[in-house]
Amino acid sequence: MRRRKFLRYTGTGLLGLGLGAVPAGNIIRAAGSNAPDAVWVENGEPAALLQAAIEAYGGMRRFITDGDVVVIKPNIAWDRAPEFASTTNPELVAALVKVCREAGAKEVKVFDRTCNNPRRCYRSSRIEEVAKSAGADVDQVRDYLFTDISLANGEELSEWPIYRDYLEADKVINVPIAKVHSMSTVTVGLKNLMGVMGGDRGSIHNRFTTKLIDIDQEILPTLTIVDAYRVLMHNGPVGGDLADVKTARTLIMSDCTVTADALALRLFDYQMDQVEHIKEAYRRGLNKYALDGVNLKTVNLS
Amino acid sequence: MRSTRRIIQVLFFLFFIVLFIKARYPYSNALPSDIMLRFSPLVPVFDFIANFRISLLFWPALIILLLTPLLGRFFCGWICPLGTTLDGVSHLVNSPDNRKSIDAKKWRSAKFILLVGFVILAIFSVPVWGHFDPLSIFNRALTVVLYPVFTLFSESTLQALTHIRFMEEPVFAMFDFFKSWIMPEDQAQMQQVFWIALLFGGILALEKVTRRFWCRNLCPAGALLGFLSQFRFYERLVADSCPQCGKCARECKMNAIPEDDATFTNKVECIECFNCGVTCPPKIDAITYRWRWKPYHSAVDYSRRQFLGSAVGGVGAIGLASIGLHNKKAQARVIRPPGSLPENEFLDQCIRCMECVRICQSNGRCLQASGVTENLEDLWTPVGEMRTGYCEFNCNLCGEVCPTEAILPLPLERKKQTAMGLAYFDKDLCIPYAKDEDCIVCEEHCPTPDKAIKFDEKEYIAPDGSRRMVKYPYVDENLCIGCGICEYKCPLKGEAGIYVTNEKEDRLTKEDLVKPPAPKSKSKSQENALPY
Repeated sequence: MRRRKFLRYTGTGLLGLGLGAVPAGNIIRAAGSNAPDAVWVENGEPAALLQAAIEAYGGMRRFITDGDVVVIKPNIAWDRAPEFASTTNPELVAALVKVCREAGAKEVKVFDRTCNNPRRCYRSSRIEEVAKSAGADVDQVRDYLFTDISLANGEELSEWPIYRDYLEADKVINVPIAKVHSMSTVTVGLKNLMGVMGGDRGSIHNRFTTKLIDIDQEILPTLTIVDAYRVLMHNGPVGGDLADVKTARTLIMSDCTVTADALALRLFDYQMDQVEHIKEAYRRGLNKYALDGVNLKTVNLS
Repeated sequence: MRSTRRIIQVLFFLFFIVLFIKARYPYSNALPSDIMLRFSPLVPVFDFIANFRISLLFWPALIILLLTPLLGRFFCGWICPLGTTLDGVSHLVNSPDNRKSIDAKKWRSAKFILLVGFVILAIFSVPVWGHFDPLSIFNRALTVVLYPVFTLFSESTLQALTHIRFMEEPVFAMFDFFKSWIMPEDQAQMQQVFWIALLFGGILALEKVTRRFWCRNLCPAGALLGFLSQFRFYERLVADSCPQCGKCARECKMNAIPEDDATFTNKVECIECFNCGVTCPPKIDAITYRWRWKPYHSAVDYSRRQFLGSAVGGVGAIGLASIGLHNKKAQARVIRPPGSLPENEFLDQCIRCMECVRICQSNGRCLQASGVTENLEDLWTPVGEMRTGYCEFNCNLCGEVCPTEAILPLPLERKKQTAMGLAYFDKDLCIPYAKDEDCIVCEEHCPTPDKAIKFDEKEYIAPDGSRRMVKYPYVDENLCIGCGICEYKCPLKGEAGIYVTNEKEDRLTKEDLVKPPAPKSKSKSQENALPY
C-alpha cells in the first residue's frame, strides 16, 4: 500500500521534495568548496574524462587524505572483454588507481565478487592486469572474509554479510559501468554495490527493490564514478554482442550514489518511473541532493 | 644404473605432476596437459580395436610399444607415475620381501585374465578397460581425491593462520601464491570421490602384501607390455661367482627371479629397476647387464585354460553390460561436455581419466565423474552436473585437454554454438510462476549474445485485488545451448526452477568440424571476432 500512495505523489514522474528528506548531516560540504553536486563529462577517452571530472569536482583531495586505504569497486562480474561493455572500462580503473595514489592513498584495493568464474572475469575484463600495473592490490574475493552487518532500517532484511575490506576501507569509490539490466531495468551505482555483498545474492532478486536498498543504505560509498564510455543498451547485464554497445564516451561523477544513478538514466532515455530501485532510494532518502535541484556541471571535451 | 633409473623415475613423476597442475585456466596448449595420458600403452591398442586405425595422436605410447620388445617393461620401472607412487608407498609401509613368493606368483596371471577380458569386451564395444588403465587411475586419483584433499588441508590451515592478526598479511601472500600456482580457485568437491579413493587406496594398501602388487598381478598395461617383452634383447647376466644366496630374488620388486635359479630373469615380469645389481653383495658383484642378439625366451604365466576362462568371463560380462537400466530420467540428465562424440563413440574413446573434470574445476565446475546410469561403462565418464557448476560460455578447455578426442577440441566460436542440452522451466518451483513475484536470475546470467531465456512481463492481480507487473521467463530453444548457468544460479534451495536435460544436444564428429555449424545464436553484428 505504501508504494501505491507513493506513486500517487509522483503522478508527474517528478518526486516531491518531501520524499527526499535528506539527513542533515549529508549536506555538509567541504568547507570553502563550491563544487557542484555532480559532474557530467563527455567526448573523451576514459583517462581524460576522469581527469576533467575530478578537476570540475574540486580535486581528489576532497575525498582522499594521506594514508587512506581506498577501495575501488568496479564491475568485474562477467567473463567478457571490455569491448562488450559488460564490465567497467579498464583504462578508467587504471587512471583512477593512479589518481588515488597521487592523492595520497596508502593502499588501493580493487575487487569484485563476480558472477562467472572470478579468475576468468579478472583476466578477460583486463582490470586485474591494468589495475595491478597502476599500483593497486587486486585480489580475489575471499569467501570467508564477509562480516554480517545489521541493517537497522531494513524493511525486509535485518542483516547481510558485506566484504570486510570494503567495510574497513577509509574511502570507497564505486565505479559501475552503465548498462541496461533485465531485472532492475538499469544497473549503475546502487546495483553495482551487490559486488561487495556476500551470502546468497540470488535471493536478493526476489523482492529486489526493497532488499537491495535495505543493504545499500548501510554501505553507500564515498564517491560514485559512472563509466559510460561504452554503454550496454540491450541484453544486459551480460551482453556479448558488439551491436548492443553504444559508445557514449561519457563519465558521471558524484559523491551521491543516487544522484549519479539518476543522471545515468539520461544515457538510456529512461524515466525515473521505470526504475524501481532508484525511485525507492529517493523514497527512503538515500540521496544527498534533491532530484530536481541537482547542481550539475557539464564538461564537453570535444 | 639404479641411480639413473631413480633420477629418471622422479623426473617423469614431477613432469606428470607439473602437467596435472598446468591443466587449469588460464591454459596454454604449448605443452598439452593430456600428454601424460597418451603415454598409456593401452590407449593405442584399444583405439585400434574401436576404430581400426593407428593414431599418431598417441605417439608417446607408440614409442613405448615399439621399444618394449627390445627393452622390456622399462615403462613400468622408469616412467609409469602409478608405479613410482607405489615404490614410494612401499618404502613407507615397509613391504615384505619375496620369501612367500611361491604363493604370490599364482596371482600373476590375473593381469592377463583382466587384459584379455577387457580386449574381448572392447571388441564387442563395451569399453571398461579405462577404469583400470594405470595412467587413468593416477590422474583420476589426483583429480578427484589427492588434490582436493591436499587443497582442503592447505586452505584450512592457511585460513586458520590468518586469524592471528599479525600473521594475516604474510599468510595471505602465501595463500595467493598457492592460489596462483598450486590450487584451483575453489576447493574441488567431486561426487564419486569415496569410490575412487577406495580403489586407489586399495591399490596402495596392497603394497603391504607384496611390493608392486598392482604391477605384478593386476595391471592390464603391465600385462600387455609383459606379453611384448618375452624375447627382450637386454638381459641380466649372472657370473659364475654367484653363490646363489637368493638375495636378489628376495629383493626383486617384481619377483622376477626364481628362488632356485638366480641366473634366470622372467622377462615378462622384470621392470628393469636394476635393484638386483645393487643387492648383490659388493664382494661378489656377479650381476651385469648387456645386449644379446640371441635372447632367451621367458614364458607368460598364462595357461590356455585361463585364456578360455577369461574369454568366457569376458563374454559373460558383455551380457551383463548390455542389460542396461533404461531409466529415462537418468538418461536425460547425462549431459556430456560440449563437442563430445556421439554417445557410443564417446564411451569407446573416453578413458575415464578425469582430465576434463580436472580442468573444468578452474572454470565453470560443472563436469563431474558420473556414477552408473545405464551400465558399468558409464562409470567415471564426465557429466555436467548443473547444480554443482555450469559450463563457462567462453571456455573450451575440456576439449583442449581430452587425450583421446572423445571431446573434440572445438574452436571457441564453435563451442559457443554447440549445445550440451536444453533448459526447461519447472513452473511449480520457479518463483515468478509459483509466487507471481520477480526473480529472473536465470535470465540475467544467460550468456548467449541473444539471450536464450527471455521473459514476458504481465500484470498479475493478487487475490486482494492489488496489481503488479511480473516478469515470467521462458526458454527460446533455438538459442539455448544447455550451459546450465541458469540451473546453477537459480536461488531456490534444492531443486532448481529451471533444469537442463540432454534434449537437442549437439554431438559432433571430426567431419562436422570442417563443416559450418547449423546457425544457433544469431549475432546481430558479424564483427564479433573477440576471443571472449
